[in-house]
Amino acid sequence: MASFADPCLDLPKSLQREFLRMQVCFCAISRFTSPVTELREAQLQDGSFEFLAIFLEGLPFIFMGTIVSGFLGTYLPRNAFERFLPKNRTLAIFVSGLLGAVFPVCECAVVPVIRRLVKNGLPVSCALTYMLAAPIFNPVTAISTYKAFNNSYAIAGSRLAMGWLIAVAVGLVMARIAHQHFLKPSAIESGNEHHHPRNLKTAMNNSLRDFMDVGLYFTIGVILTALLKTTVIDPTSDFWKNLADNSLAATPAMMVLAFILSLCSTSDAFIAANIGNFKYAPKLAFMVFGPMMDAKLIFLYSTVFRWKFIFFLFLGLFAATWGLSLAFEHGLGSYDSFMESYWGSEKEVAP
Amino acid sequence: MTALHTRLFGLLATTWGGVLLYFYSSMRMKKYLAPDFHILLLIGGIGIVILGLFSLINPTSEDSCGHDHDDDCDHDHGQNHGPHHSHDDCADCSHEHDGHGPGITYALTLLPLIGALHFTEDRLSAIGIAKKGLYETPNLTAPADAPPFTREDLEKRVPRNLDGEFQLSLVTAYYVAGDREVEGIFDGLPVELEGRLVEEKVNNESGLRRRIYRSIISCCAADMSIVGIPLEFETPSAEPPNDSWVKASGTLVFEDVGEDRVPLLKVRQVIASEEPYSEFLLRQ
Repeated sequence: MASFADPCLDLPKSLQREFLRMQVCFCAISRFTSPVTELREAQLQDGSFEFLAIFLEGLPFIFMGTIVSGFLGTYLPRNAFERFLPKNRTLAIFVSGLLGAVFPVCECAVVPVIRRLVKNGLPVSCALTYMLAAPIFNPVTAISTYKAFNNSYAIAGSRLAMGWLIAVAVGLVMARIAHQHFLKPSAIESGNEHHHPRNLKTAMNNSLRDFMDVGLYFTIGVILTALLKTTVIDPTSDFWKNLADNSLAATPAMMVLAFILSLCSTSDAFIAANIGNFKYAPKLAFMVFGPMMDAKLIFLYSTVFRWKFIFFLFLGLFAATWGLSLAFEHGLGSYDSFMESYWGSEKEVAP
Repeated sequence: MTALHTRLFGLLATTWGGVLLYFYSSMRMKKYLAPDFHILLLIGGIGIVILGLFSLINPTSEDSCGHDHDDDCDHDHGQNHGPHHSHDDCADCSHEHDGHGPGITYALTLLPLIGALHFTEDRLSAIGIAKKGLYETPNLTAPADAPPFTREDLEKRVPRNLDGEFQLSLVTAYYVAGDREVEGIFDGLPVELEGRLVEEKVNNESGLRRRIYRSIISCCAADMSIVGIPLEFETPSAEPPNDSWVKASGTLVFEDVGEDRVPLLKVRQVIASEEPYSEFLLRQ
């Protein structure tokens, strides 16, 4: 008879490394906390509030994602996607970047789904492209961005286009790299599952396992997000206000902010619209980088990808978003003149 | 997963689902989620409980599925060991294991959840509210609750109270500032604003000012932003107390503070009001 305590003692090395990282992170954060008790109490209160808010919002979506993944894993024939996607790999990656328009999922729910789809034979490059693009390239995000920026087709369109471009670029690059280098072995091999009968019991069991696995990393990510939000970041501080006129510096700063705030892609446009009088590039970078890479997502990604790959993905996305945001801003002129060209010169854009 | 693991995970899932259902049934969710998400919380909670209970009742044991698991292995392998990879080699194996044991999952999810439930007061502290923008000046790129553009629109769309004052959304009054064209319609307007009271911490040398605010969210309290408008009393006033819901009546004016243009309500009266169903205003 197996003892349930054993796995806790026999921790995988990856998890031990995660604990170490968390310890380092907690130590670093604790250095930022003030010695004033009242401030610490406030941080504890705010951290708990933020944690519960994200947990309550995200858990139902994680659940829905894992139910879909569990049933897909059980009932979807292996390599079924090869029939749906174009045979040409490059074209398949391009199409995968657009799938969010048909199968819209948020960034929390997409991870368990692609985890299972990869096991079921979806090409990894296509899965990666879909994973990065779907939270941005979907109708809900498009509408919320459109509304947040005063009914601007240009900004909503730019966001979707940039998200799609970056996701496809990542997919094309990863298609040329053997997936053993960046996927966790457990994500590559289908293990025992394909031998199981296709019935409700198996589907529910798969769902439960995905739910526990992803739920654990989701919780760790939410803890980190709540800690950082309540101890490190203050968007109302002078630091952020002084960056308003300098897109070159403000763009990476806004990406860091998006990483820490870990907002849902359906709502982050409203935050971007409200944070300071930044120009076009920083706000666009905030809305594109955040849904692809944030503090909670890195833990969710770690259920599929190796940590080393996540680190390089972070760097790649950061650089690509930074560069493309500035290029978009440069190509369209300044944010103000861009908005005026859309709304007409009579409407005042910025105070 | 062994049958025991499945049962333990099922119990944990049931607990998580129970927490969601508790927040729904106790209405505490109102403090955390936008109204659109309340039903999702209920559906998610029920679904998670069903998933958990199903696994409790029908645990699946992978070592009974006919694979090469002849040992009493209780690892969470996502891989088939096969004939050439026995469990004896596990200590040295390089592959990473799929999933984690129930102990780790219980500890890393339940402890933070219990801690958060213990420490939360279902609201942000004064410091947290300030960080969400309570004392910030309006930014015109934010179109939340776009105001009417003509006096006629205003008359048509905004109801008045018994004293003839416009019952204006606080968010509308906030975002009007800075748009000179629209500001002209609202400047000097008799209005009634509803929100929570807090002390004023900026531009209050005279001590005659307090602030009224509302919270705006899209999905959950984590994406909350707060807009506040200063109230200027004729004499120092401590009533109603801070943190209470009020209706503040008076004249809406706009003043220049540095390079910013901010709204200000010159108070005629402030009366306590009931807390609304949801204190959040929706952006969408």
